[in-house]
Amino acid sequence: MYLTHLSLTNFRSFARLDLEIPRRAILLVGSNAQGKTSLLEAVYFLAAFTSFQTHADRQLLHFNTVREAKNQVSVGRLTADYQRGTGKHHLEVRLILEPVGVGNGIRLRKEILLDKVKRQAHEVIGHFNAVIFAPQMSQILEGGPDERRRYINMALAQTFPAYARTLSEYHQALTQRNALLKTLNEKGGNSEHLSIWDEPLTRLGSQIILWRIQALQELEIQARRIHSQITRGKEVLRLVYQPSYEPLPTPAGQISLPLEFPVDRSGLAPEEIRRGFAEKLEKIRAEEIARGQTLIGPHRDEVRFLANGIDLGDYGSRGQIRTALLSVKLAEVAWMQSRTGEWPVILLDEVMAELDIQRRADLLNYLAEAEQVLLTTTDLHLFTPEFIRQALVWQVQDGKIAPQNDPAEEE
Amino acid sequence: MILPDPLQKLINALERLPGIGPKSASRLAFFLLRSGDDLADELAQALHGLKERVAFCQECFNITSAGREHCEICDDPRRDSTLLCVVEDALDVLSLERTGGFPGKYHVLHGVLSPIEGIGPDDLKIQPLIERVRRGGIKEVILATNPSMEGDATALYLRQRLEPFGLRVTRLARGLPVGGDLEYADQNTLLRALAGRQEMD
Repeated sequence: MYLTHLSLTNFRSFARLDLEIPRRAILLVGSNAQGKTSLLEAVYFLAAFTSFQTHADRQLLHFNTVREAKNQVSVGRLTADYQRGTGKHHLEVRLILEPVGVGNGIRLRKEILLDKVKRQAHEVIGHFNAVIFAPQMSQILEGGPDERRRYINMALAQTFPAYARTLSEYHQALTQRNALLKTLNEKGGNSEHLSIWDEPLTRLGSQIILWRIQALQELEIQARRIHSQITRGKEVLRLVYQPSYEPLPTPAGQISLPLEFPVDRSGLAPEEIRRGFAEKLEKIRAEEIARGQTLIGPHRDEVRFLANGIDLGDYGSRGQIRTALLSVKLAEVAWMQSRTGEWPVILLDEVMAELDIQRRADLLNYLAEAEQVLLTTTDLHLFTPEFIRQALVWQVQDGKIAPQNDPAEEE
Repeated sequence: MILPDPLQKLINALERLPGIGPKSASRLAFFLLRSGDDLADELAQALHGLKERVAFCQECFNITSAGREHCEICDDPRRDSTLLCVVEDALDVLSLERTGGFPGKYHVLHGVLSPIEGIGPDDLKIQPLIERVRRGGIKEVILATNPSMEGDATALYLRQRLEPFGLRVTRLARGLPVGGDLEYADQNTLLRALAGRQEMD
């Protein structure tokens, strides 16, 4: 799929922007703090309905807009026309910042319209797909497990139609269950009431575990292939899913399987996982009450990335992490394409500067196949002349975008 | 501008009602101020009588007029006492009664289990329900709480509590709305309808 038109109002540094976008690679060139990344963020927002940069959506609005919002309603708007398969679609997201009552502060409301019809986020997610790669995403490998879960969730939500809804229902059940555990911990009471919340938790949780097993297995195959190409066969990349509830039998006395242990969870039936999950919850009941929270389940899952058997999160060098991340991101693209039958729009933020010459060339070769790629850079010289000839170069300055002539021709 | 005290009080009170925001509250208050006829008086009287003249049935906890121990449904000898339908609140009784298709009696829980809001089994009319069943004579209990996560959890809890009595416990069917269109059903509804499909007879 590819974008044909994008328009932004009051989004980040853009007061107003209207762009016709061709189906090819587009290079966004400009100095720092001109709005390059914001443009990629906007495109990604249309795919995930959340930002890859901030957890607070109100920061996405133009800062003048946020200042005004104390007195009046203000709106940020993202609209896109895109082609998916043979169909043309229109997607609009309104970020509405409005005062609550009088003097009660402000709140942000999201409205999503697909083909001019208002929809819930979970109904639309996956309709327009994008994969983003930015330098700070090394956090996926280096940061805490929550970063990895967030990453996996965003990729899966775009690919499995019911994932987003199931995940949000899981969290609803989890919140209720945790509230009950906390009450039992503080005030005591009948712990048998827990079993009624075990039901939705294990039913939704086992579904999520199943999707994650499937997705990570497929992602690993792609990532391993791509990583082997990029490293010239020197490194074998593995994505190791460590579910917090391990559906496979574990060695005596251990909660999870050792990292190096090759596992195949693909044969597991949903009902099998659900029953095992429920039995495990029964066993740890006393501990859960003592801690006042749910101790196992997809909300505590972990994914580790291994190169030649070494855990990159713990021991990876800067360069190794960058390369592995590139492989994982390209694997995500390939996986999404094989699952949905459509190329996602690829967004690359300042990625070239971090790679050596050989890897840059590999990446550019790979991108030549993609349907639409948006890249940002401060320095055009990082790109090969052939690539620049094929791509479209746009100058970004002060939140405005203008086409630039081919610098190769000027010389 | 500062509004006169009585008006401001009314606006604040109206704002506390569900579904009413600050703007609607002011509009309603000003409407009442302007309306020349007896609307304000009638409303005041109706509100005044609300708490005094309405009570809960001691049997099923449905709403009834004050002074009566039991509601009309519980007192009606034609209703089937062996069939009991458990609902979240009195409005649900009204919906079911409108169908005219339910011959049994009701039990109103006045809410659903929700640990987040601190609502446990003791905050609902669950104990009276168990007592009712214990007294005997009931052959089937229909759990008609809403098909939400909390409604389902409440139904599950009730099933566990009712199990020892050895009676038939059923849950309202879930799935596609009558006159609905497959095309417009959301994924979850469709999945549930598929899982709960029935033999055609």
